[in-house]
Amino acid sequence: MPPAGIPPSRALPLKESGLFKEVLHYYEDRQLKKGLKTADAILKKFPKHGETLCMKGLILTHMGRREEGLELVKQGVRFDLTSHICWHVFGLIQKGQKNYEEALKSYTQALRFDKDNMNILRDAAHLQTQLRLYDALVETRHTLLRLRPQLRQNWIALSVAYHLRGDLAESKKVLEQFENIVKNVPDYDVEMSEILLYHIRVLEELSEYTEALALLDTHAKSRMIIDRVAIMEYRARILSKLQSPEAQQAWQGLIEQNPDCYDYYKGFLSSRAIDLDAVTDDIRPGALQILQDFVQQFPRAAAPQRLALSVSTGEQFKELVEPYLRTRLQKGVPSLFTDLKALYRSPEKRDAIESVVHALLDTLAHAPDAPCPSSIDPTVYIWTLYFLAQHHSHLGRHAKALELLDTAIAHTPTLPELYMFRGRVLKRLGDPYGAARWVDQARLLDLQDRFLNARCGKYRLRAGLIDEAVEVFGLFTKKDAVSPAQDLEDMQSLLYLIEEADAQLRNGNHAMALKKYLAIQKVFDDFEDDQFDFHGYSVRKFTINIYLNLLKWEDNLRSHPAYVHAAIAASRILVKLHDDPSMASAASDSHLSGAEKKAKKKAKKAEKKVQEEAKKAPSSTNEDKGLEATAPKDEDPDGTKLLQAPEPLERAAKLLKPLQTLAKSNIEAWVAVYDVAIRRKKYLQAVQALHHAHALQADSPELHVRLVDFKRRCAPNPALRVNMFSDTIGPGSSLSEKPDESVATVVSAFLPKLLPDEMSLEAYNSQFLQKHSTRGDAVLAAAKVSQALGAPREEVEAAVFNVLNADVELDIETAVAVDAFLSEIRSPREEEFRSAAGERFALSTVFVPHAKLPELRKSALHVPNVAEEKEEVIS
Amino acid sequence: MSESRPAQPRVSFAAVTPNNLGTVRKLNSVLFPIKYSEKFYHDIVQPDVEDFCQLIYYNDIPVGTMCGRVEVKDGQAKLYLMTFAVLAPYRSRGIGSQSLKHLIQTTAAHAKPKINAIYLHVQVSNDEAKRFYERHGFKEVGLYKDYYKKITPHDAWILQLDIEQKDAAGGNP
Repeated sequence: MPPAGIPPSRALPLKESGLFKEVLHYYEDRQLKKGLKTADAILKKFPKHGETLCMKGLILTHMGRREEGLELVKQGVRFDLTSHICWHVFGLIQKGQKNYEEALKSYTQALRFDKDNMNILRDAAHLQTQLRLYDALVETRHTLLRLRPQLRQNWIALSVAYHLRGDLAESKKVLEQFENIVKNVPDYDVEMSEILLYHIRVLEELSEYTEALALLDTHAKSRMIIDRVAIMEYRARILSKLQSPEAQQAWQGLIEQNPDCYDYYKGFLSSRAIDLDAVTDDIRPGALQILQDFVQQFPRAAAPQRLALSVSTGEQFKELVEPYLRTRLQKGVPSLFTDLKALYRSPEKRDAIESVVHALLDTLAHAPDAPCPSSIDPTVYIWTLYFLAQHHSHLGRHAKALELLDTAIAHTPTLPELYMFRGRVLKRLGDPYGAARWVDQARLLDLQDRFLNARCGKYRLRAGLIDEAVEVFGLFTKKDAVSPAQDLEDMQSLLYLIEEADAQLRNGNHAMALKKYLAIQKVFDDFEDDQFDFHGYSVRKFTINIYLNLLKWEDNLRSHPAYVHAAIAASRILVKLHDDPSMASAASDSHLSGAEKKAKKKAKKAEKKVQEEAKKAPSSTNEDKGLEATAPKDEDPDGTKLLQAPEPLERAAKLLKPLQTLAKSNIEAWVAVYDVAIRRKKYLQAVQALHHAHALQADSPELHVRLVDFKRRCAPNPALRVNMFSDTIGPGSSLSEKPDESVATVVSAFLPKLLPDEMSLEAYNSQFLQKHSTRGDAVLAAAKVSQALGAPREEVEAAVFNVLNADVELDIETAVAVDAFLSEIRSPREEEFRSAAGERFALSTVFVPHAKLPELRKSALHVPNVAEEKEEVIS
Repeated sequence: MSESRPAQPRVSFAAVTPNNLGTVRKLNSVLFPIKYSEKFYHDIVQPDVEDFCQLIYYNDIPVGTMCGRVEVKDGQAKLYLMTFAVLAPYRSRGIGSQSLKHLIQTTAAHAKPKINAIYLHVQVSNDEAKRFYERHGFKEVGLYKDYYKKITPHDAWILQLDIEQKDAAGGNP
């Protein structure tokens, strides 16, 4: 007889019920083969037994037969909707698929039928943390603590849950209760030490500094807290917050421990009422004196010397910077310029550095073809030339930089840094092909240098040499990977993905560019998923402090420049696609180069091999493949399917969503948000984006283009104007027929703030142009606007050619954008512009006639061999 | 203001490998009026000559190279020094001497095969080089008529240093 409360469909006879227990047992022990066999034995008699079906599905999933497994689990759940086992298994599978929302729903179901199941509760807590559902998390942690108060981690987990919810007082209370009842803590217990440090952190965040300090001192003395550095750091920080006179001594102690930590100096100075980030003339002498004393005390530490450079001004700066530069040039510190670049914000310091280093160079100069005088070290001369080349190039004096580098290379032709930087200067001058060639020369000097190799790959991508770039990247990727590109993607190389995507875009291959940008999005999704394991691990191991930092970092993950760049660039492609759907069908094999086709074929072959091997492997091994799906094979190697996928705007909106909170100060992000919102008819969001952009930079040319665009879309005629407000924000709103008055009101209230209501757009545009007629980017923006307003092409062309006027500031990027615009409107004057721009930027190669590009690209790969010209040959 | 004393210049060596061959090519191209064949570059990266094919570094920057090959004739092994030079600005600071001493030591310590002598060619116009080798015990043992085909003068001295055998392990001068 089945026990009461068990539905008849679930109840099994004694024998089968024993078998089912065995299945569970085998699964726990990962004896998958035996588990499967036993499950089949039950199913033979009871083919509709839900729990067995679910277990079989789970086991199959672990064995790599994922689809089959999932199907069985779904079936099992349907046969037994009130079994916690079925729902738990379903939740496990969904969690494995990283579908956290659905997994949590299944767990919630499971808990309805077995509300005190510890395993399910714990898993649910992890899901709630991952989904940032902190109210629910507190509740789950409470239940767990109630069930098992004797487990230390349940107390801490509840405290952390309160903390995450922002309820610090409760968090503190839980910790206090825990500390009152905890017994038998062994000596030097790392876990207890971490818990106490966490407690102090909570107090500190509550601004209860006196209590925090007391707790710290008590437990430091009793040796309950064993992290010595943490004790010192916490102590110094809290004393500073208490404005205690002891703070200074505490920071001094830390500096003695590590005299190269900037934060310690910052803390020390703050204890003397000096804010290192805002040094005024009043406190400058005092601050400098303190730093100088530290320099005396720690002559080998760089931090106080460098900080003194930031703080000092005028003559004093000159006095300090001279020995700073000299010792480092003598040592040959390649990163010296990077170290000092931040000082260049002050023109006075910049000029002082220039004069010091040039004076130094004068004492070092000597001929490259004779022995250097014994009083001079030739390597110091080289590093000085290298520094000055970086200095001048940074300030836009590229010709001077090239001259210095050529002098250095003639003297010492074996230093890769010189070639690399020469490449970089050429890149800045608009010669990506020459740049790639020089960086390749650097690479050839030392083939085992990964940095040189990666640079070379990057520069080849900049020159549009995608296949050749992948070839160099491939020198350092895994040899058994499907392709170097795939390996780099698996290794989450953001540098490579960004550069390749940009290169594809420049080459006009939107499909591949989109594919790579979305690969970057995927990398960030993975980063987000990666935190999951820590929700369990960190609480179990009591590494709470670092765990809380991790969660904070994850919440700001997508503020990373690579994500921001990829999201904006991908959204632009998707917007283009929306405006011109024919782009998707045009994307086909036709624009694949021969090498790309070859690579594709190769990839296909490799894939086939992998599949065959997978087939050969016996399917009934005991090997546990885990619940997480392995990477599916690439069904869309050239990105065409991505380009053809429906709803480009919705996809773009999803990509941009994180930027609205994480990249608020990025005007490009707001412009991108506008471009998507306006096309999705989300007028409120569009106007908001314009407003944010306006607040960041009111006279931005890109914003100007959007403002006019917005007005045009809103008000071509009054009838349309009413019509457009029939959409409100929010899903499903497009069904509503009624114009939403409130949206219309907000928009019409905001719009006049951004651009005048009574002026014609043409007049508004010429006003903008007049105001910024000396800015190349503004001239281009105005031309774009007049084109959009229907001006004849000749007029638009004439307007845009004004960027070449002598009084207009024009940089290479803008000139390239002008060229792209002319090409977009199919201007017959494009080549004319290119040749004019080529003259303007004499050392550039980006404006050579299109016909010459293939030759240039080839030149980027050909490193000249000087030896070839010699007569005498020795074999 | 404290100041760290300029560090003593460091001279160090590293074997020529396929990876740093580009540096050797670069040095050869500026140091010698001669083009070396691909066979030359192939031979100098072989593991059995790595003791004799070295890059010379000064403060961690490659400034010179020396490449030799072992020639066995009548049971006697000799090291033929094919190339040896330091970039012009780095000369007259003892780098060459240190390098040659290093090479002589390594050669003397070499066991399989034991090497009896180091020899090399110097163009007859290059008195300075000849004196340099003589300072390190090399002696003129002959003249190679028309050693060079294109550059003048065509003739080359043959300079040789007989190696006193030491224990294979010993490297003390």
